[in-house]
Amino acid sequence: MSYSWNKLGLVFEPENYPGRPWMNSYAQGPSSLVLEKTIRVYFSCRPLPDSQGRFVSYSSWVELDRKDPTRIVAVANTPILNLGDKGTFDEFGTYPSSVIPYEEGYRAYYGGWTRCESVPFDVAIGLAESKDGRIFQRVGPGPVLGRSASEPFILSGPKIRKFNDQYILFYIAGRRWLIHAGRAEPVYKIRMALSRDGIQWKIFNQDLIPDSLGPDEAQASPDVTYSSGKYHMFFCYRAPIDYRRNKSNTYRIGYAWSTDLETWNRDDAQAGLSPSKNGWDSEMVAYPHIAEIDGDTFLFYLGNLVGKQGFGLAKLKGKL
Amino acid sequence: MVKRTRWKNLGQIFDCNLHRLPPESVGYAQSPQTLIRKDGIRFYFSTRRLDSNNGKFISQVAYVDYLTDPRQPDFNVRPHVSTHEILAPGQLGCYDEHGVFPFHIFKSGPYLYGYISGWSRRSSVSVETGIGISISYNEGETFERLGNGPILSASLHEPFLVGDPFVIRAGNQYHMWYIYGTQWKHFENSLQPERIYKIAHAISTDGVNWNREGKILIPDLLDDECQALPTVVKWGLKYHMFFCFRDAVGFRDDSKKGYRLGHAESNDLIDWNRDDSFLEDFRSGYSWDAEMQCYPHAAILGDRLYLFYNGNQFGRTGFGAAILEE
Repeated sequence: MSYSWNKLGLVFEPENYPGRPWMNSYAQGPSSLVLEKTIRVYFSCRPLPDSQGRFVSYSSWVELDRKDPTRIVAVANTPILNLGDKGTFDEFGTYPSSVIPYEEGYRAYYGGWTRCESVPFDVAIGLAESKDGRIFQRVGPGPVLGRSASEPFILSGPKIRKFNDQYILFYIAGRRWLIHAGRAEPVYKIRMALSRDGIQWKIFNQDLIPDSLGPDEAQASPDVTYSSGKYHMFFCYRAPIDYRRNKSNTYRIGYAWSTDLETWNRDDAQAGLSPSKNGWDSEMVAYPHIAEIDGDTFLFYLGNLVGKQGFGLAKLKGKL
Repeated sequence: MVKRTRWKNLGQIFDCNLHRLPPESVGYAQSPQTLIRKDGIRFYFSTRRLDSNNGKFISQVAYVDYLTDPRQPDFNVRPHVSTHEILAPGQLGCYDEHGVFPFHIFKSGPYLYGYISGWSRRSSVSVETGIGISISYNEGETFERLGNGPILSASLHEPFLVGDPFVIRAGNQYHMWYIYGTQWKHFENSLQPERIYKIAHAISTDGVNWNREGKILIPDLLDDECQALPTVVKWGLKYHMFFCFRDAVGFRDDSKKGYRLGHAESNDLIDWNRDDSFLEDFRSGYSWDAEMQCYPHAAILGDRLYLFYNGNQFGRTGFGAAILEE
């Protein structure tokens, strides 16, 4: 391996920024936008749960110093988007969000959460637009990429990218729900869709990443960057059950590379980021996001309990 | 005023109380859909069983065969009702996990498709629906899903409750009429949010991938009108659409607000003129549909236009038929 990650620690902890009841805890699914002087990192957070212990999620942002991305320079005072109307796909959450410049403003692709009866939830991918990147408006009340014959539920974890004048959406799609100890646990796989306009999507309709933990491995948070003539994907994966705290089953960060975006070579040993011996990321490392900032490569990621405490950062030594 | 049309109503032709429904069925023969066979007419319909987890209804597909000349049918012959599983239940967490209603049969050359209007329950509202597709390799005895997910579901401008597919082929294209939800609305006299849905149209070259037009086809007659189950047939020089419509609230108990039948006509399958007067003579005179008429299905048998439909309580007791006389 020609590179390694230097962990810079936990960067953003929501509990240090009180007065925002919608941001009581969690900073999940980080994704970044490089601005003139700052890096704006979008993430998703939660207010306190309701009386039945159920959470909703909001997406929001924090800005980091472009010269020192461990330094916070601004924190949003509101979510970027309200929750959806009664009965819509995003009535109970907008998590996570991925933002890309579009015309004079920005577009956000986000996971919209609803609640079901036989399984706890379903997710579909929504689209919202913004002039300033701080407050977004939905393009429509329904999802821009929802269920289809071969992707029957849980379309989530979108990362929007533009390669060769084409929009590419990396995301996950649910495969099956397992019942374990009376609880429904979802299995999902990494997928891709292509678009010219960002609205009409053609799904590639294949799993991109071969399983390493068997057919019920859950794969999440695909993020892709292009460097040294190859596409590099960082993602996370976990065991099908008992994955919340059991260190042998929790999320780990995986890696794959490709030259054509269609055929991916999985090589998790190259991911190079493991849980720490102790501290905020001692039980898991999850939801990686790669950012190129002024010639340096950074990895944003989540630790224990999938980002309950916040998100952290690592800096690349070497070259991808 | 001269009446445009004259209907001959045959009354209830299939009565759930007179014929044994499939095992576990607790009544209902909803949304009859015809398949014309060599030796008779088959109606696919949705019947209901109870979900053992919570006592809620789950709709499942059944059929009834009438062995009669399909060009001149006699519905007084003794019907034969299916007893086997025609379509397996939907998978956990999938769009059709809690029932299939309606089940639309579409024959294209040698292929027999079943378009699924699938139901799955939600937490803040009662239900979400989507349209899937299945195919039969044994002349309609059983159907296999082409994928566990829907081919038409919530999208950017059609946010929920996509259902009630009806497909025809015209020229090189397939046309689908279906419904989608526009709003879950709170009313003062209803504890639960009530759904509002409208008829829409999509076009396809393969019957699987559909382009939606994203517009409402049929103008409302009522405030917060709900429109359901479009069925389209070419009769004479025009295309005729039949559907049912109701008020958004109070429709379960108040027959003035419940489902009744509507009609529209078109020369090109695109622009439709609503003209419910086409049905002004449409009445049965029997009690089984005195409070409600819903879920129509139009079919040409021989050289006559038949309209099959459900009556009171959304088709709890069965379905009936009428013939357009002129």
